[in-house]
Amino acid sequence: MSSNPVNHVADRFARLKALQRPASVAQTKMTAGTIESQCEAPSRTAGETGAERLATLLGATVSRTPHGEHLSLLSIHCEQAPCIADSDALHLLMPNAPEEVADSSQWLFLDTETTGLSGGTGTYPFLIGLSWWEGSRLKIEQLFMREFSEERSMLAAVAERLRERPVLVTFNGKSFDWPLLETRFRMVRDIATPPLRAHLDFLHPARNLWRPRLGSVKLSHLERHVLGWDRGEDMSSGDIPRIYLEFVRGGDAEPLVPVFMHNQMDLRGLAGLAGRILSIFGDQEKPLEDGLELYGLSRICERRGQAERARTTYEQSIGASLPVETDRAARAALAQLAKRDRDFDRACELWESLLGNSREGYEAYEQLAIYYEHEARNAHLALAITRSALAQLRCARQSAMINASQYRASKLEFEHRRLRLERKTQAMPPSLFSS
Amino acid sequence: MALSRKALAPRASTTLDVIRQILGTLAARNQAEDVLTCVRQIPAREATFRPMPEWTRSDLREAYSAKGISQLYSHQAITAELVHLGKNVVVVTPTASGKTLCYNLPVLNEVLENPDTRALYLFPTKALAQDQLAELHDLGTRLDDRFGVFTYDGDTPSDARKAIRERGHIVLTNPDMLHAGILPHHTKWMRLFENLRYIVIDELHTYRGVFGSHLANVLRRLQRIARFYGSDPQFICCTATIANPGELASQLIEQEIEVVEENGAPSGEKLFVFYNPPMIDRNLGIRRSYVKEATRMTNELLARKLQTIVFANSRLQTEVILTYLQQRNQPKPGQAEPVRGYRGGYLPRERRDIEHGLREGRIRGVVTTSALELGIDIGSLDACVMAGYAGSIASTWQRAGRAGRRTGSSCAIFVASSAPLDQFIVQHPDYFFGSSPEHGHIQPDNLEILVNHLKCAAFELPLSPDEKFGGVDLPDLCERLAEAGFLHQSGNNWHWVQESYPADTISLRSVTSDNFIIIDITGGDAGKPEVIGEVDFTSALTTVHEKAIYIHQGQQYHVERLEFDHRKAYVKRVNVDYYTDAIRYTQVRVLEIAEELACPGPSAHAHGDVLVRSQVVGFKKIKFFTNENIGAGKLELPENEMHTTSFWVTLNHVLLQSLPFPLSDRQSGIFGLLHALASMATLLLMCDRADLGTAVGERMAGTGSEVEWQEFSSSGIEKEFFEPNLYVYDAYPGGIGFSEPLYQAYGELLVQTQELIEACPCENGCPSCVGPAGEKSERAKEVALAILAQLCSMELSVDRQ
Repeated sequence: MSSNPVNHVADRFARLKALQRPASVAQTKMTAGTIESQCEAPSRTAGETGAERLATLLGATVSRTPHGEHLSLLSIHCEQAPCIADSDALHLLMPNAPEEVADSSQWLFLDTETTGLSGGTGTYPFLIGLSWWEGSRLKIEQLFMREFSEERSMLAAVAERLRERPVLVTFNGKSFDWPLLETRFRMVRDIATPPLRAHLDFLHPARNLWRPRLGSVKLSHLERHVLGWDRGEDMSSGDIPRIYLEFVRGGDAEPLVPVFMHNQMDLRGLAGLAGRILSIFGDQEKPLEDGLELYGLSRICERRGQAERARTTYEQSIGASLPVETDRAARAALAQLAKRDRDFDRACELWESLLGNSREGYEAYEQLAIYYEHEARNAHLALAITRSALAQLRCARQSAMINASQYRASKLEFEHRRLRLERKTQAMPPSLFSS
Repeated sequence: MALSRKALAPRASTTLDVIRQILGTLAARNQAEDVLTCVRQIPAREATFRPMPEWTRSDLREAYSAKGISQLYSHQAITAELVHLGKNVVVVTPTASGKTLCYNLPVLNEVLENPDTRALYLFPTKALAQDQLAELHDLGTRLDDRFGVFTYDGDTPSDARKAIRERGHIVLTNPDMLHAGILPHHTKWMRLFENLRYIVIDELHTYRGVFGSHLANVLRRLQRIARFYGSDPQFICCTATIANPGELASQLIEQEIEVVEENGAPSGEKLFVFYNPPMIDRNLGIRRSYVKEATRMTNELLARKLQTIVFANSRLQTEVILTYLQQRNQPKPGQAEPVRGYRGGYLPRERRDIEHGLREGRIRGVVTTSALELGIDIGSLDACVMAGYAGSIASTWQRAGRAGRRTGSSCAIFVASSAPLDQFIVQHPDYFFGSSPEHGHIQPDNLEILVNHLKCAAFELPLSPDEKFGGVDLPDLCERLAEAGFLHQSGNNWHWVQESYPADTISLRSVTSDNFIIIDITGGDAGKPEVIGEVDFTSALTTVHEKAIYIHQGQQYHVERLEFDHRKAYVKRVNVDYYTDAIRYTQVRVLEIAEELACPGPSAHAHGDVLVRSQVVGFKKIKFFTNENIGAGKLELPENEMHTTSFWVTLNHVLLQSLPFPLSDRQSGIFGLLHALASMATLLLMCDRADLGTAVGERMAGTGSEVEWQEFSSSGIEKEFFEPNLYVYDAYPGGIGFSEPLYQAYGELLVQTQELIEACPCENGCPSCVGPAGEKSERAKEVALAILAQLCSMELSVDRQ
């Protein structure tokens, strides 16, 4: 990522951080060691409403739209370089993407904080974080409704930003944030749902790349283990709805400050992660080192029809160290790709390495039998392979290494093949046909 | 009533011949008894036809005529015409009168005219929606699939849901799904709501009581959302015969509605038989078990190759009858069971299989609860046996209608239990055949129900102060909900301000929406645990408590472990000669008295709000066939609390003291009186016995607090009552409007109860009047009558004043 970051956060942002000591530690780490001067939080003035207090604390301003007003907070971050999406990366991310997608200045990152997690028309996004690249700087605008009646104005602002940058970029936005916003646009009715040129949801590639290795693909988790960032003491997102609802019912403004921070960190993390994923997808010169990441990348390449690149990365992944199951899955996938290329030498080599009591193992017996029967035209060898598959099955059954239904299903299939091959071999004596 | 030989003389039709043979044997075997209290022949009825309406499109006309329908029954034509004129319609349709055409014809016609048209069909159960789906798919195939029909319920896979929202012209669902799955996500259903022209409510009569009151509120929400999207749908409702179809329908939809009561469908002739099992002990008032008598009757019918449906009134009885029947009707080698059970707890696939088997005739007999009372297509059966009174006249006709469709003859046999209502009906056939069926009562403004739906409404769309929602002061109610932290007013409107999703916690059918799943672990560690069924929360407490014998498809299972918090019951297959019956203990506390009338003597009656606490505290083991009590056990299960309304009678200390009986007799008399009062109350209210709960509580003189009192301990401990309250409460949270009418009809209730007990032929009380004599003192009947005499005389003196 960025090697020599400079911090240009506005001075009101410093005030904000000062309020949240744990978050300011996180901030320091995320901005790679820049030290900020800390000043005292402004003290509460008499007669101030909760909303005014919040604006003071954050240094936020009131934004006006034809649909009313809402609170708005701008900040600028420079610790990372803008994402670059080359054509290889784009193809893996979204085949047949419209051309705007290649231009990351058309991207609008979005992350919402809501009054509930269950969805439905009674769930409101009270804080909508938007973010985009301006030159080399990441600009974040956070829209906030101080009252439910301000939702309209906030949505009008979102629609405006999306008109300027029609490529939406989210993390899990396809199933959460965007359907929720669509619902809100439908509910307010007089603001049309802004049309998107494309929606890039980085949850799905992140899942493919890192779930095998990390288990969890929560954004903060990925930041820590993929980007090497440390958020410090972030708040738990489960508390967010309650904090807002208490504020609306007349509660304190202070607890909302870390919510704004959390939302900012999510947006910055998303931008960072997007850059990392694009560089993995794009950069074919500098291969990955982690076998599981390579395996994940191979599967994406294979799914997107990039068979050649998939073969390369699968080969690389089995060259790195992989857990046994993943290694088998990678070999089996690679064998299929080799078969498709009619590279039977490599395919057979892989199949032979797979033989044994596993799903891929039995599939390898079957593939070899098919190969010997139809490609190598050696029914006798095919029969021998089939017989050893049956022997393997019996052995696995006797030592209870295979469950009954799997055993029955596989046995039936191989028995069928054996009978057919036996008939065939009896009709064609080996001396005439084997080379 | 003695039967003349002539009435049993053979006729031309074979089914009736067979029935008459069976009845002849029965009459001969029990000559001394009036076991056959009624054999009534209901003649066949001719069809009244009308042509297809002129506006019917030719393609739709062809599709129907390819199915063999080229003209309509009169009620179908009238309904279709009214719908075409833009009216709301409710059509009264007995079983097998072709009701689906009443709505499908006008709806499909409009969908084909204008492909934007959308319709929502509501069925009370998922199974009924599945049934209709098949019918509509068949029409769809004949019309080149020019319209989309889908079911949308809990079983709909999530990847199919989006397509249904966009492409479903007709969406078949149930009120529960509408409430929790569709309305809270209405923006996803924009296409449907913007173009919603028709709402079909089938089986309208099922929406009575608490379920109906909920539905009325769900429909308020539905109409509110429709208005938001600018649509104004028409309602088409179908109902079985009830006394007030128009009133019930217009209460539900809160609009004017046309009623079509004419029925143009033909029906075959039917023999309706009332059978009262013979008395085996006149002293104790014990009759031969109606369950066994119904089983015997069914065996006779099955032996004569008549396909038979048996209705029982509880899950337990269903399984007991099934066990008996399967013993006598073993499958032939290599074939499936010829007699099957069918009830709520079975898994959907199993039920589809049974429905199919019945239609094909593969299954010769089926034992069911009310689950098959509604219009699920199981083909036409030859005979229907009702083990016990269905609880209402309307249900009895519905059940009887499952045997015999449009042509051919059929029979329906009601086998009376010794319950008071059963005995009253079986001995008064003219009352049954002469009365109109019951009224459907609902209480859409029941505050508890309304407030719950108001929360859902606020979640769906902020509430504006100018809106109307039922007959309540909306701004005031919203204000209160805001104070409680549910709503928040902003820019005039009230918004939902909770993290939770309100519809999730509100069940339309019972106190709680939780179901327990039943897991078979017979295989132990080696075998795979298998889910064999599920049971709703309230029944779970009485049927799957630890050590209970749970019977599923005739197989007994012993409940090894109940994980209450996880809602799981682990069972193992067993083979024992007993079943279990749970003992429930109920306590009532008065919260607020709405009206009270103290007589100038030693009693008072009142109605008002109460808190009912109930708990299953133990169970009895009862031996099959002999019904002996062979053991008992204690249980510790959580308490259930319910706030509802109740009617009660308070017996003053002075009154009790004036009775010339010892304490234990007085206690038995009080319970006996309550038993009889509750039975007569169901008749007066024309409600189901299950809609009412009873309890005896005690008000300490001078204080308002109640003292616990447990019925099942009465045999052991004797305890002096000071001023007992006899409660008859609405068995639903919030009450459903029975208490006040009961309070008003107090005088009539007393007189009828007195008549019931006096007319009963038993000596010391029996299940048909004051309850079984065995469990109470021998003088229960005498004491009950003595109390009644005093109450009646006081009531008379009040009247004179």
